[in-house]
Amino acid sequence: MKFHPSLSKPGFLTLVAGLAVGALALSSLPANAASDPGVTDTEIVLGMQLPQSGPASPGYNKVDDAMRAYFDYVNSKGGVNGRMIRLEVKDDAYKAGLTVSTASSLINKEKVFAFVGSVGTQTHISVIKDINRRGIPDIFVNSGYSGFYTDPKKYPNSFGDLGTYVVEAKILGKYLKETYGDKKIGILYQTDDFGRNAVAGFATAGLKFTPKETAATFIAGTQGSLGLVSQMSQLKAAGVEVVIIAAVSSASAVAISTAAKIGYAPKKWAIISVGADATTIQGLLYAGGVPFATSAAMLTGVISASHAPAAGDSSDEFVTAFKKINDDFNKGPSKAWDNNVLQGMNTAYLTTEALFGVGKNLTRKALVSYLETKGSSLSSAALVPLGYSKATHEAYTGFWVGAYDASTVLKPVGTDRVVYTTDSGSGPVTVSTYKRPAMPVDALPKGA
Amino acid sequence: MFKYKRTGIRNLAIALIFTVAIIALGAILDPYNQGQLAVVSMLFIGVLSVTLLTGTSGQISLGQGALMAVGGYASALTILNLGLSIWFALVMAIIVSALAGLLLGFAAARLTGPYLAGTTLVLALALPSLAIRFESVLGGDVGLNVDFGNPPAWLVSAFGEIGYEQWQLYATVPLTCLALLATANILSSRTGRMWRAIRDHESAASLMGINVSNNKIFTFVVSSGFAGLSGALYGLRGIVGPSVYPISLSLLLLTGAILGGLRSIAGALIGSALVVFLPDLIEWATRPLALSEQIGNYLPGLIGGVLLHLTVILNPGGIAHALHRHKNK
Amino acid sequence: MDTALTTLFLGTTRGAVFALVAMGLVLVWRGAGIVNFAQMGQAMFSTYIASSLIISGHGYWFAFATALIAGALLGALVDVAVMRPLTKRSHSGILASESMRATVPVIASLGILGILQSLAGMLWAAEERGFPSPVSDVAVKAFGKTAPFTNFDLFIIIVVLLTLAATTLFFTKTGMGLAMRATALNPEVARLSGIRIGRVRTLSWAISGVASSLAGLLITPSANLSPNTLDLILIVGFTAAVVGGLESLPGSVVGGFILGLLIAVVNVYDAPDDVFLALLIFLLVVLIVKPGGLFGSKRVRNV
Repeated sequence: MKFHPSLSKPGFLTLVAGLAVGALALSSLPANAASDPGVTDTEIVLGMQLPQSGPASPGYNKVDDAMRAYFDYVNSKGGVNGRMIRLEVKDDAYKAGLTVSTASSLINKEKVFAFVGSVGTQTHISVIKDINRRGIPDIFVNSGYSGFYTDPKKYPNSFGDLGTYVVEAKILGKYLKETYGDKKIGILYQTDDFGRNAVAGFATAGLKFTPKETAATFIAGTQGSLGLVSQMSQLKAAGVEVVIIAAVSSASAVAISTAAKIGYAPKKWAIISVGADATTIQGLLYAGGVPFATSAAMLTGVISASHAPAAGDSSDEFVTAFKKINDDFNKGPSKAWDNNVLQGMNTAYLTTEALFGVGKNLTRKALVSYLETKGSSLSSAALVPLGYSKATHEAYTGFWVGAYDASTVLKPVGTDRVVYTTDSGSGPVTVSTYKRPAMPVDALPKGA
Repeated sequence: MFKYKRTGIRNLAIALIFTVAIIALGAILDPYNQGQLAVVSMLFIGVLSVTLLTGTSGQISLGQGALMAVGGYASALTILNLGLSIWFALVMAIIVSALAGLLLGFAAARLTGPYLAGTTLVLALALPSLAIRFESVLGGDVGLNVDFGNPPAWLVSAFGEIGYEQWQLYATVPLTCLALLATANILSSRTGRMWRAIRDHESAASLMGINVSNNKIFTFVVSSGFAGLSGALYGLRGIVGPSVYPISLSLLLLTGAILGGLRSIAGALIGSALVVFLPDLIEWATRPLALSEQIGNYLPGLIGGVLLHLTVILNPGGIAHALHRHKNK
Repeated sequence: MDTALTTLFLGTTRGAVFALVAMGLVLVWRGAGIVNFAQMGQAMFSTYIASSLIISGHGYWFAFATALIAGALLGALVDVAVMRPLTKRSHSGILASESMRATVPVIASLGILGILQSLAGMLWAAEERGFPSPVSDVAVKAFGKTAPFTNFDLFIIIVVLLTLAATTLFFTKTGMGLAMRATALNPEVARLSGIRIGRVRTLSWAISGVASSLAGLLITPSANLSPNTLDLILIVGFTAAVVGGLESLPGSVVGGFILGLLIAVVNVYDAPDDVFLALLIFLLVVLIVKPGGLFGSKRVRNV
């Protein structure tokens, strides 16, 4: 058997022809050209991309199921102005090269009206320019990277869904400096945009860290394989008394259990909200042989911040309503109630409110201009208003600081819950005077 | 001599027919599949780098994705820092990644089989961390924003409205054509014969007077240039960053090369089309089953792995080889 | 001083696990001439089995034993179902050339890795998990001071040394072990002297499967379990095996400890960002300065 390496095989042409036929078979029918794509009298199609598989997926893969559950609830009540909401979700496995393809699929095959709640900074960067160039709304992006939102001329259609990492770090940093100013404060952060943005925010609040001493770093994702022993040993050796964690929840779990392991007991832990999901941390530790009671004791007193009520706050009307909807409508593989589910529900809630708000005449332009002009008066479970304006598309510009109680519910650090507000720049941190409007009947918002 | 010239002309003709066929396909497909076909054309160049390196000279690399990253960063830096057009950037990508291949080749020429596989795997792991180490230049994990830009006015006036995906395809295809032509000519040249001799029996090749290590290094240089071009085009779809060139990209190229046929250009084309369209095909085929997300999202990986196995055990020559054999019966 | 001691102990415990991984790779390389890139995929799979057993209420040691058996069975299965049919064809078609005989099994093992990771994703991947340790993983306290190691660290080192000792005894004192060494040295001669090569090969895959499952069970308590977390451990283990010469069991163990210390030192005294680069540079330097590894003999090529 010999292989002929040159192209001089008639087979090659047959192949190209075959490929052509195959590709034709794959191509779909053109869409109706009337109004904007994705909207008919009976339906609104929304698109979302997130890592549902692969190393970056755990935790996030619950957000889309929560969103879909809320939309199903809305549909069960007759939809938005008679239109049912359909959420098309694509898995990009957190590979930016794949995100470009899944975005194209959502735009061209599913003909989505808008992107909603897409998860992931690195992956979203690869498509944000294209989505904006096409004039497609890119709303409630689940990334705290301020670069997406602070310059609406660059990305006119993109709107945030989280407080930026900088805002959160400024507020948390102010609290820590005031309360623990006499203690040695250190940080463990992952060396990506999330970690670096957080460090920048803390610096604005006057908290500066020394590399190799009070600042320990790790490559995002390696906490699961290489562990964090040397990092925690470094902080221990530097005599750090208050440890801040700016990393994902699985890294927080590894950090806390590693500290216990090396006999390091800092006076205080403070975790940026992204990495402070108690359910994720406790679940991970439980599989590692740490009973829930023990991990709850480990988490008690840990400081974190939030722009929304705590997922475990059963006295909050939004939390109880969302929890019920989650029980009744969530068809995902893992629907256990936690911050990820709360976040997904809230995103879907805001989306529904905005769609109602735009009214019968739903176009992409109308949605974007609605969010820019009226977005700041949309209400949701959040305890601060959305920061949307013509000048910025940042979402929540405020956080309250809390500590976990013995049943891992985040409780305000003072007697009352004080919400602080600030910007992603060098502006001051002030007390917010916002009063969250009451939840509408049936947890169904009809727009501002 | 006459025979060689005839092969050359035939290679040229077929490369041109390929180009025209893809352009024609691009005109009739929907935008999504135009985009997918653009990815096929980009990865085809990357798979050809495997065809040359592994299929022809017998050296295995699990780090072609890293060389794609080198090309991607070289082109992005050319565009962003020097302000040059994407065409200059692509040339720069080829040059820089070929130089990287030269460096790698010096180390690789001493290594065989699994040693080389492991070393290139470590390379694929280590190179992206440079982007984080030199964040100010390489953009950290966020990466560098680049794209194909808008189609030139003359093209629009000649063909009418050209969509974004279509422009990606049309900008890529001429380069794919050049890569195809270059590969065909290398394979049918004296160099190609020397590489195959080294692959089949290194010691015998050396006894025949072939400078084995120089040829191995040269293969690395050429193959890396191909990978770099492929990576630069792949990055121009939106972003050059660590999450664009994960280790799994290297494995994807290798999978494509094996499934299609490691030793033929047609095989490389079939393989790249297969790895790009397989997830779509699986999704289409399993849609009636309404699989859960957790099953559905991992299904392409599972089926890809199974196909890889069936190929190496039952039909190591890949689809191209099987088709060829079938026709000769 | 404290930092130096911590680095030393961290490097040693991690090194012990890398040594196990490297041993697993060397066993299959010697027994079958294949570097098994799916090895830690197999380990991941058997660790998930142990994790599921523990979560559903079974005891640690039962899960531990089940995982080791699963590791052995998976190893044997990979050989019987994939590698054996592959070598049977090794003189026809694309496999006829020298370089491809070394290359194609690598590709096959990558295919197995893909299959195992996809299956694990389907079965278990909705959440990352921790994995328990059998003995206390809290720093030992003595004379009012905190020691830089835990009981589990000591357990790891003891288990790895015991495994090394058992393997050495097996290869030098038992008939099967001698048969395996003979096969590794020269399969043709071994077959002529009545050794059933196929069985011997499968056994080396199974032993390697046990070693790597053990590595998975020992590393996950200080990290966590997901379908991909052990990829990195495989890459480090491979580097350790190459540093040790890829053919020598003691070499692989020394290589494992060297890598453990290297990573710990880079982590502590330089920056964690540089770990992968350090790995690459170290591997390249070893391969260029001493291509046969620190313990390997330079192979004579047959013409």
